[in-house]
Amino acid sequence: MATADDSRFYSEHDDRVGPKHRRKGRGPFRAPLYSDQISKQRHRGGQGGGGGGGGGGGAGPRSRFDDDDGDIAMTDDSHDGGPQRRFTPYGRPQNRRNGRRGGKDARGDGGNHRGRGNRGGGGGGGGGGGSGNIGDGADGGGGRKNWFKMTIPHGKKYEKQWLLTALQSISSVPFHPIQYHIEGNRAQFYIDDSSTAYALAKVSRKITDKDGYKVTVLLNQCPPPSLPQQDLKLEDLEHLKQCMSKRFDASQQALDLNNIRVDPDLVSLNIDVTLNRKNSMQAVIKIIEDNIPELVCLNLSNNRLHKLDDLSDLVRKVPNLKILNLSHNEIRSERELDRLKGLRLVELSLQRNPLCDHFSDQADYISAIRERFPRLLKLDGHDLPPPIGFDLEVAPAVLPPSKPSYFGSEELKGLITCFLQQYYAIYDSADRQPLLDAYHDGAAFSLILPFSTQNPSRSSLGEYQKDSRNIKRVKDSTTRFRLLKHTRLNVVAFLNELPKTQHDIASFNVDVNTYTNTLLSFTVSGVFKEVDGSSRDSYRAFSRVFIAVSPGNGTMCIVNDEMFVRNATTEEIRRAFVAPAPTPSSSPVPTLSAMQQEMLSAFSQQSGMNLEWSQKCLQDNDWNFERAGQIFTDLKAQGKIPDVAFTK
Amino acid sequence: MASTIDFRTHVDQSCRYSEEFVNIYYDCMDKKRRNLTRLYLDKATLVWNGNNISGQDALGEFFESLPSSEFQVHTLDCQPVHEQATQGQTTLLVVTAGTVKFDGSKQRYFNQNFLLTAQASPNSDQPVWKIASDCFRFQDWAS
Repeated sequence: MATADDSRFYSEHDDRVGPKHRRKGRGPFRAPLYSDQISKQRHRGGQGGGGGGGGGGGAGPRSRFDDDDGDIAMTDDSHDGGPQRRFTPYGRPQNRRNGRRGGKDARGDGGNHRGRGNRGGGGGGGGGGGSGNIGDGADGGGGRKNWFKMTIPHGKKYEKQWLLTALQSISSVPFHPIQYHIEGNRAQFYIDDSSTAYALAKVSRKITDKDGYKVTVLLNQCPPPSLPQQDLKLEDLEHLKQCMSKRFDASQQALDLNNIRVDPDLVSLNIDVTLNRKNSMQAVIKIIEDNIPELVCLNLSNNRLHKLDDLSDLVRKVPNLKILNLSHNEIRSERELDRLKGLRLVELSLQRNPLCDHFSDQADYISAIRERFPRLLKLDGHDLPPPIGFDLEVAPAVLPPSKPSYFGSEELKGLITCFLQQYYAIYDSADRQPLLDAYHDGAAFSLILPFSTQNPSRSSLGEYQKDSRNIKRVKDSTTRFRLLKHTRLNVVAFLNELPKTQHDIASFNVDVNTYTNTLLSFTVSGVFKEVDGSSRDSYRAFSRVFIAVSPGNGTMCIVNDEMFVRNATTEEIRRAFVAPAPTPSSSPVPTLSAMQQEMLSAFSQQSGMNLEWSQKCLQDNDWNFERAGQIFTDLKAQGKIPDVAFTK
Repeated sequence: MASTIDFRTHVDQSCRYSEEFVNIYYDCMDKKRRNLTRLYLDKATLVWNGNNISGQDALGEFFESLPSSEFQVHTLDCQPVHEQATQGQTTLLVVTAGTVKFDGSKQRYFNQNFLLTAQASPNSDQPVWKIASDCFRFQDWAS
């Protein structure tokens, strides 16, 4: 895909830039010739025609496309005659200078074909010939293989669309920004053509933005960026999945992706799965993760892999992987294997990768690899002496099991349970104004949301979004201050603006962090749903820290309140509101909510009365724990409570 | 008016302290856990997924028993704690959320909050922040 883009892109420039600038005479002839040839080959090549044909007849500069396509077409064709004839052992280093990407492709090609045909010969190098071709091409093309990074300082504040349109409107040449992105405050993109890049740099400080600033455009020559690829389409993924399942051996939990790029099933459907591209590798790993996470054996040989960054997810997602074949790839350094550290590999194949040539000594090679994979028993098919451990090995540390609410004492449990029931009864009502009673004059409140790297609009915490005071993101001190609601009136006014809710009190979990004679701090988490507005019936989960002072009469007065809100998980939604909701106390046969149960047992414990009488006392006081307690104390002092109330 | 300005300065500084704290705390947790308890008060309490641990020795033992960790804090908030609750002792509420990968388990989301109090330090003439209480939960602890 990227290649196709490139070709369009090149031809555009050849067409339009060429004539305007130097090389006037050659430009017009060259451009259409290449672009036509490329686009035709892209299409025909896949069908297995004479893909390689262009290589001979075509112009030098484009030969890397020929190689690309030819490779797909000539799976087992005679066309590899070309690279073979041009075989130069150890031709690798000279490739580095010229057209890196092209060189690599071509080399991988030569290597593959030769590898299949005749593996001996010790020719660790690939088809240096291919690179010769590329080199010629790149130079012949007038050095168009240069990459430039265009930087717009402070570009972050502009809309991408606005910026690019503005640049385009006054640039003397059309341009195609590659990989537009923001880095720090800068906007950056790549241009792979020097004349376009220089033309763009001339535009610097000619655009004035709406704030009156000049837009600066800086230019830096740079190595080729790793090009973005279009994601595979959904139906392509389905085909890829089928192709992978065909290559999967369930009895061995083994997946063979050797040279998957040229799998006839994929090629015939024109699906481009090139594992050295991020999108392809990610798609493959996702399919493994979703379908065969127990995978033990994975063959990735002959896939032109040069970086293993995209493979690092295997460590987490395919933890059972024991056998990995990375042979016949382009891995240049053993350090790449660090990406796979953590895999408990028993067998690893790395032969025919450039990194193997770095070691003159077999022992160095083995120890460098085993350093990364200490459990390795087989390297490149050779048995290694089994590793010997030490008797210090202890059982791996395990996480302590999680427990529900930690209240610390029954007294606190009663107090907090009661507080929460009252608090959320008001919070869930139409008017939150009465919450004023719960807050201290100098109370503070703030709200945070999880930071989502994904599309923020999809996170649908929209109603809360604008008030999130995540100081990891909000750096401006005025905004930080504004988002911290301070004083009772401001706090409650703000709470009143938040979406109307219904909390599932049965889902609540409470941890008491600190309890001193002046302070009670506890964390409540649970699930609620929104009951009106645009997010009606959305389920949220929250975690909220309350710090309260005790004014002395057993009630609580909140001084600090910090709330974290996120979307509830499917599991949380499934379990939400299944416990019976609190029933109105007027109901003839009251069933008690979980909250009431807890209040009841706390009340019984503190008063010493049995459950029946405790319940009566609480019910008579509308489940107001404090008031019931007060009434109880008064009546008891007056000796008005019969002994039967204390019989358990 | 004067008190508003004071509060604003207080808020401003709290943010700085909590940013610094979070960097230090999680770096210590992931890489230098042996030193972690030095950030806690002698009588600090931790409620870790409902497990209550208090006192430096017990905390040290507890942290040592945890598998190695990789924390990523995505969200951070802080508030100066009202002095009436702390008897005038400068105290900060720091609230974090993010992901953690403990060795041997899958990556999980967590919420955590701390109460930090400013304490005189024997090693320095400046006061230092110490964790008075710490409350940690996996978001999916129940599943």
